[in-house]
Amino acid sequence: MESAMHELDALGTKAKKTKLQLIKRRFYRERQLWFLCIPILFFIFVMQYIPIFGDVIAFMNYIPGQSIWSSEWVGLQHFKTFFESPDFPIIMRNTLAISGLNILFGFPAPIILALLLNELRSKPLRKFVQSTSYLPYFLSWVVVASIAFLLFGNEGVLNEFLQRFGIIKQPISFLGDGGKYYWGILTSLSVWKNVGWNSIIYLSAITSVDPELYDAGKVDGLGRFKSIWHITLPSIRPTIVVLWILSMGNIFSAGLEAPLLIGNAQTRDYSEVIDTYVFKYGLELGNYSFATAIELVKGIIAVSLVFAANRFTKKVMDTSIY
Amino acid sequence: MNTSFAKQSPGGKIFDVCNVILLLVFGVLVFYPFINLLALSLNDGVDALKGGIYIWPRKLSLSAYLYLFQDSRLLSSLTISVMRVIIGTTTCVLSTGLLAYIVTVKHFSGRKMMRIVFIITIYFSGGLIPTYLVFLSLGLTNTFNVYWIPAMFNATWMLYMASYMESIPDSLFESARIDGASELGIFVRIAMPVCIPVFASIAVFSSVSHWNYWLDTVIYNSSGNWDTLPIYLKRMLLEVEALEQLRNPQALSERMRDLSPTTLRAAVTMLVTLPIFFVYPIMQRYFIGGITLGAVKG
Repeated sequence: MESAMHELDALGTKAKKTKLQLIKRRFYRERQLWFLCIPILFFIFVMQYIPIFGDVIAFMNYIPGQSIWSSEWVGLQHFKTFFESPDFPIIMRNTLAISGLNILFGFPAPIILALLLNELRSKPLRKFVQSTSYLPYFLSWVVVASIAFLLFGNEGVLNEFLQRFGIIKQPISFLGDGGKYYWGILTSLSVWKNVGWNSIIYLSAITSVDPELYDAGKVDGLGRFKSIWHITLPSIRPTIVVLWILSMGNIFSAGLEAPLLIGNAQTRDYSEVIDTYVFKYGLELGNYSFATAIELVKGIIAVSLVFAANRFTKKVMDTSIY
Repeated sequence: MNTSFAKQSPGGKIFDVCNVILLLVFGVLVFYPFINLLALSLNDGVDALKGGIYIWPRKLSLSAYLYLFQDSRLLSSLTISVMRVIIGTTTCVLSTGLLAYIVTVKHFSGRKMMRIVFIITIYFSGGLIPTYLVFLSLGLTNTFNVYWIPAMFNATWMLYMASYMESIPDSLFESARIDGASELGIFVRIAMPVCIPVFASIAVFSSVSHWNYWLDTVIYNSSGNWDTLPIYLKRMLLEVEALEQLRNPQALSERMRDLSPTTLRAAVTMLVTLPIFFVYPIMQRYFIGGITLGAVKG
């Protein structure tokens, strides 16, 4: 009995040893690759993962120059301050309005563009329109802002045009004027910037639709509009659904670049969004913990919205991203 | 789709005509601002104040450009921008390419782990402030390095490059391995030359984003010592003092009296835009393949 136990033990250690040896040998054989991986892993840990852990300062009273370890834990105090501040409803309204308008117009626009481009018979024209359409995507937001000033400024093209045709007498301050036009301008600029680029993915989905379906549709007497509605659109539905789910994640990010450039003191009531608020309180005023707490709220809501949207489409349309 | 035009019903023909008109209007809407900018930038500044310049410059003058190319601040931001594009793109393409190679070596036991570590960074990232604090403690703020070091490894581009490399027959790498080549050697001498198309497309993407990006200057390099060209333009657009400085009387010779903020802004905007116009045809050759590849891989 005892000897049998011994034997078993010995076998076990032997198996363990060989397993360990195998791992060792494997590491040795792959040593070159591991040597390349170690600095890369170290790099990504420092640059990307430490900042993620650094989000804990949202629950602390972190003071610049002080070590994180000696900072005082304050729990949810910063979150409470944010939710109770008079700025909160305004910021939420602006963020939701801007990102909502962006989805409302920015989401269907590339689908419509892709459908129309697909219906163009002339190949050269199609190529020309398509390649122009995604040019703005490759431009800096600063360039887009400069164009906005040029078009919508007090002496801009739009004002000049409206005055020449006698529609208005005095120039309208589209970029100021208490921010009345701000949401509209921001939405049109981001649609203008992104519509062409976003249509590429739909166009490539459309080209993979089986041409026989169209022939069959023609036999059944489907016109142009009807074949778009009954064949093309249902065929690209999975692409549309996946992109819609992903766009839900952006509903709380109205972006930082555009508001920093086009927003100004006059438009503040309409242009202050979560991202600019974080930027202002964090970088300009040095309220590091408070700013991080606000950003964390945004991140958590974004992730939960993607989950919710995914769940919804899974149930209703049987399509999901995971 | 490719049925002949003759077969179309009248309704179909009307649809076609409307479609062409609609898309042409759209094309003009996209392109017109650049024509307007170009016309303004080439117009006499004082004359431009009268307005009414839409397509052609009314009184041709190169003074905006001449003035800009004598401005030392513009020249220094141009230099920094060019350096950023060159150094940033080279390091990004080489390191992301190496990473893509590592995660495609079939027998490497760590390849899945490496992939996951990077894919997580696409979905989760630290907040603005924690990232700023880390960069601050690493001594990256107020340096040129903050432009290229954080951008070295890009997880999305790693996926593009890896899926391209996976399409290459494994035997190519394996035979080199049997001949005793080192992994780094295989990457440089075999993977890179074979994958030139994907390296080129990532290089174009990376250089465009390095050329355009400006928020990192605002966040990390606000001292003004490392201003890039987009930041120069941003200052011209938003800071009244910047324009005043531009019109510093000492800097203006007799010939330069015909300047106005509008034409100067238009000229700087053109300077930021023109390089994109030039690489645009090259870009188009590559990026459509890239984005549809990403779509398939999800």
